[in-house]
Amino acid sequence: MGLLYELQKKYKTISIVGMAKNAGKTTALNYLIEEAMDEGVRLGITSIGRDGETQDLVTGTEKPQIYLEQDTIVTVPTQLYEMADAGLEILKKTRYSTPMGELLICRVADSGYVQIAGPPAAMDTKKVCAEMMSYGCELILIDGAIDRKAIASPETSDAIILSTGAVLSRSMRRVVDETAHIVNLYSIPEMEEGNARTLIEENNYDDRIMLISEDGKVTKLDLATGLGSSRFIDDEIDEGTEYVYIPGAFTNSVIADINPKKLKRIKFILKNPTKIFLSAMDWGLWRKKGMKVNVLKNIEIAAITVNPWSPGGYSFDREALVGAMREALPELPVVDVRV
Amino acid sequence: MKMGSNRRLANVKTRREVGLDYVMQSIDLNTPFGKRQLKEIKPFYPGQEDELKAELDKVERMMDFVNENGRLIGQIQEIFMEVKDVAYSIQRSENQTLSVVEIYEIKSLLLAMRRLLLLTVKDGTPLIPAEYVLADTTDLLDVLDPRRDRINTFYIYDEFSEEIHRLRGKKREYEIAIRKEQKAAREEIKQRYGIMLTPKFDIIVSKNHADFEKIGSIEELELVDQDYLSATFRLKANEAVYGYMKEMDQLNEQLEEEEERIRREISKEIFKHVQVLCDNCQRMGALDVALGKALFAIAHHCSKPEVVAEHVIEIEEGRNLQVEEALKARGKSYCPVSISLSDGVTCITGANMGGKTISLKLSGQVAILTQYGFFVPAKKATVGLSNYMQILIGDSQSVERGLSSFGSEMEELKIMLDNSVERTLLLIDEIASGTNPVEGLALTKSLVDYLMEKPYISLITTHFETVTEKEGVINMQVRGLADADFTLLNREIQYAKRSERINIISKYMDYRLYRVEKQGQVPKDALNIAKMLGISSEIIEGAKKYIK
Repeated sequence: MGLLYELQKKYKTISIVGMAKNAGKTTALNYLIEEAMDEGVRLGITSIGRDGETQDLVTGTEKPQIYLEQDTIVTVPTQLYEMADAGLEILKKTRYSTPMGELLICRVADSGYVQIAGPPAAMDTKKVCAEMMSYGCELILIDGAIDRKAIASPETSDAIILSTGAVLSRSMRRVVDETAHIVNLYSIPEMEEGNARTLIEENNYDDRIMLISEDGKVTKLDLATGLGSSRFIDDEIDEGTEYVYIPGAFTNSVIADINPKKLKRIKFILKNPTKIFLSAMDWGLWRKKGMKVNVLKNIEIAAITVNPWSPGGYSFDREALVGAMREALPELPVVDVRV
Repeated sequence: MKMGSNRRLANVKTRREVGLDYVMQSIDLNTPFGKRQLKEIKPFYPGQEDELKAELDKVERMMDFVNENGRLIGQIQEIFMEVKDVAYSIQRSENQTLSVVEIYEIKSLLLAMRRLLLLTVKDGTPLIPAEYVLADTTDLLDVLDPRRDRINTFYIYDEFSEEIHRLRGKKREYEIAIRKEQKAAREEIKQRYGIMLTPKFDIIVSKNHADFEKIGSIEELELVDQDYLSATFRLKANEAVYGYMKEMDQLNEQLEEEEERIRREISKEIFKHVQVLCDNCQRMGALDVALGKALFAIAHHCSKPEVVAEHVIEIEEGRNLQVEEALKARGKSYCPVSISLSDGVTCITGANMGGKTISLKLSGQVAILTQYGFFVPAKKATVGLSNYMQILIGDSQSVERGLSSFGSEMEELKIMLDNSVERTLLLIDEIASGTNPVEGLALTKSLVDYLMEKPYISLITTHFETVTEKEGVINMQVRGLADADFTLLNREIQYAKRSERINIISKYMDYRLYRVEKQGQVPKDALNIAKMLGISSEIIEGAKKYIK
């Protein structure tokens, strides 16, 4: 049984997220679509922002349109409808508008190539997916645009497939390390249920930095941005402080000036792992110094796809790359999508 | 006076200030047709009393209908919410071929019409007033829905023609045949060279890869793309595949032509029904507006005005809707006001903060709503129709235009008097208050003299008490704080926060109007209110000295 069969048992919506441009995201999508055809899984395909351009706009490499089998449910804007090579039955005209007209939900009536586009706002993706589900999809694949952080966010989908590959670095070691770092970040433990978590959820309506004490005291910092805020956070941490909630980006400048003793005592709480903007090295350093981080919601990674080929002109030995990746991430399925 | 279609009852400012715009915006409409019809609604003029009465009777019947059929109304509105305006596509069908998306939208509209018809007519008996019942459009729907499954989806289905069914079937056969050939070739390459092509039958090879030369020399592969570092090879088509592809190209062309032909046929068929489609849209819009008007009247406790021949406006316990809404939002209730107006001049005098301007606007609101065929926010109202209505009131716009308040006031007064005709309603708010009181008073008095002689209903709010002394001028006075318990009021004010003082004063204020028959003691509430709002007693006492 293939990867897809396992996935559709566990998840309803999966975003395909690239570690970088040309990490093989579209190839991974095509691979999954191919598997779905073989296994008779009824797919829904949408994207965040436009996708399926024939030319990748950033690097100029060729990007194939997506071939869809009959009965796939797909979102297409009005202006791309007429351009589709596949026969598309219109099921519904949604109220979401894109730069290329209002979004249609269609069923592929006659197999062929389609340029996919979804609602431009990540927050609407969830609603569109619910509508697609009502037309009988068993699994929805969301093709992400460049902005990895937005679509990886747990509000968009149940799980992600992380596409990584040679494009990240000429050193295979680094490709594996960076991928493992992202996987580690995304699976940071979620904050346990309890009084403190409830306090954060209840008070988190204005996106302010919050300090929670053991005795349930909530202190809010009145700062315009969390960047460079570590001085003020340090001032506010007292004997009783247990958690520090950071709603925005978690960067070096949020931690830098916190007294090392205080740092060891407290635990940082973030919205979700996409808020972390620390390199693998910095992350390791801060962890050594005793930094503890939890998130309100982490990101479920369903699988890793690897692309041993880089448009930069070099490639890795495919078996070696897959092997190294499996060794670094033993609990996740790792697939080479170009086989 | 302009006649014909350009005839205007009231200008934009008057419609806004007396609250007609507010009512129009508050009416909840669900179809694009209803929205357009409400925007184009025309008032009734003197001489059209019977038509207006018929319209008001219709609103009344609709209100009864709404009260008795809540569930049905909900279902109708649900259908209305899905209706989109496709007038442009329908017009375009005359001599152009509609796109698939356009045909889909027309089909959606036809399905909505069908559901509405099924909902509103049971066993041949209409459940709604007959004038709103739609014409049957099933024959056109059948054209757009050849499978008769009545689902809101569209595609150039195989059922549209034998030809398209045949062409598509053939295309599928070729696709499968091509894929079979390619898969076989891929398998052969794997066997022979140990190279695995992707499911798209290509492979990307780095130029410094050890096998680059070898892959490049495989004759079943062709180079399709390359840059300085890598190359993409794709499976070459063999004779059989070429054959199929050539056939496919032809097929695709035929398919496109056939689809275009079908769309053209459908477009023609739609155009044949253009009249019935437009009529149905018009009826849906009319029902939407009628429901909207009835629901609004019910929600705001409006009553049916009595339309009479003589030029009068009589309001019993009227409520200014905008003010009532604002008060309701703050958890307060509106104090209803009664007023009776006929040709001649009526002045509203009385305390500051006493609601003079609100009562002025209320009079206009009841009159204009009646003439537009709406129910009015009053316990009872009697209205004789006017040919022209205008309000004269200061607004921020004149200041923005760079005119002084007096300047713009005079400008508007001129327009107002120039346009006035027999049966006019003039609403004038504190005219000439922006200039010196000597000339202001003189101007006001002279204006009252002028208006007394005219066949207009003139309602004027003013602080110039002596204006009302003229024989024949009716003086309505706001009761104000005349009967208020000042000890209680002062005690409450003393301990209140500054921001709450105004609210406390309005609590004690009696907004009702009563007719002053004989000129007597005028209530001087201005100083009282100024004092309560915290103006120092030094100034208040000083002012009292001057009154004496």
